[in-house]
Amino acid sequence: MSVMMRLEDVTLEYPVPRQYRKEDVLPSGIRNVSFEVNQGEVIGIIGQNGSGKSTLLKTMAGVFPPDSGRISTRGSVSLLAGVGVGFNKELTGRENAYLYGALMGRTKEQIDTLIDEIKSFAELKHHFDRPIRTYSSGMKSRLGISVATAFKPNLLLIDEVLGVGDISFREKSKKRVRNLMKSAGSVVIVSHSLSLLKEICDKIIVIENGEMAFSGNPSDALEFYGSLMNE
Amino acid sequence: MHRLPFIVASDLFRSRHLLRLLVKRDLNARYRRAYLGYAWAVLEPLLLAIVYTLIFTILVGRSDPLYSVNVVIGIIGWTLFSRSLTTSTKSLGSSINLFQFARVPKTVFATSGTLTNAALALISLTSLIPFFFMHDLPVTVSLLMLPLWLLLISFTGWAIGLMLAPISCKIPDVLNLINFLVRAGFFLSPVMWTYDMFSTRFGDGWHAVVAHLNPTVVPITGMRDAMLGGTTAIPSYGYAMCFGTAVLAYVFGTIVFERQAHRAVVNI
Repeated sequence: MSVMMRLEDVTLEYPVPRQYRKEDVLPSGIRNVSFEVNQGEVIGIIGQNGSGKSTLLKTMAGVFPPDSGRISTRGSVSLLAGVGVGFNKELTGRENAYLYGALMGRTKEQIDTLIDEIKSFAELKHHFDRPIRTYSSGMKSRLGISVATAFKPNLLLIDEVLGVGDISFREKSKKRVRNLMKSAGSVVIVSHSLSLLKEICDKIIVIENGEMAFSGNPSDALEFYGSLMNE
Repeated sequence: MHRLPFIVASDLFRSRHLLRLLVKRDLNARYRRAYLGYAWAVLEPLLLAIVYTLIFTILVGRSDPLYSVNVVIGIIGWTLFSRSLTTSTKSLGSSINLFQFARVPKTVFATSGTLTNAALALISLTSLIPFFFMHDLPVTVSLLMLPLWLLLISFTGWAIGLMLAPISCKIPDVLNLINFLVRAGFFLSPVMWTYDMFSTRFGDGWHAVVAHLNPTVVPITGMRDAMLGGTTAIPSYGYAMCFGTAVLAYVFGTIVFERQAHRAVVNI
């Protein structure tokens, strides 16, 4: 099984704001994180709020460079972070889909062939041609998942948007992630929905205070996380 | 010679399809909710020119019939420079949410904003058409020089902005300083005054050398000459300072941006 991304001792600490520098405040971020994402693998990341999950995804996506350590990547990486993040609220769902496709390096013709599928998966109907600012957060998430998975990046990073929408859409999203795996794509998901992660992940990583506290099969990881919560 | 200025140029050329789409997106979004749409790009400089001409005529009593035309051109030129500068300086903060989708060169986002502003400046220039009829102005071959001056003025603003963008992430006060410079620069640039008015008042001594340190003096004067068929006597050192500033800003801007931008975004 080939490795899509390898993280070796990756550390990223946010600069401490000037007003807190004299206090004994530990910089937030991630410290000495090492793991591999294999082809076709789905990895879940769990941890308390502020533990460094989103920072880890942003570092993996190349938004932030690590202070130390190494990240080696094979193929395209795309991050879907938060509801409607990155979309222009004045543009329609269709226009945003074209923009996303172009950012992913797709030509207009390639996007043309996918646009109907994106529209139908997102279940937006006539709203697809209306500005995003008129969308509910559920609609924005559906569009985000639909667009991000349609362009099939080699590694898709999803931050907190998979567990949204009604039950039927959640089922569709899970199916879509599995299809992405089948087409040799890998997925890393950050979510607080433990049942969702247990269902679709091959492996779960627990992040605690910016460090990797556990990495293993979903059942063991959730048990470990549970014991951490009870401490 | 450093490689980074060439790398940036080649990155931008390779991303031209994306640049076109980002400019289209910005243009579409800019006036979408306004009833008058793109007409605002024409109305804004026109209304400002009316206000400034009235104030200036009341205060100074100037009766040059082409003064309002000169003010409109000055406003369009200065607006293009200041918007290119501020858009480029703020580009890392304003586009950080787009970096996550894919690994696209960050200069693309600074450049798309500048190209959008250049397109808006071109639209704004149509506000001058009525003046050509009102004052029976001739359409001369010098009009062909107009794109060069527009390109130069936005290029310089963009390049200076590239240099400031990573610094503004680490030191947010830079943005306040830019806001101040944009306001002060309006009066220090040939918007409400012309090159000839300055030369008549101060002559061509050290005042003129200092005035040419402002990178908008020559391009705005060039825009006026191109539109109105004039031939302002700008000394050769004035051209050298203007083009030299643009080249130096590009070289240093690209080097600073490429070296610092990646690291600087952590501060946003």
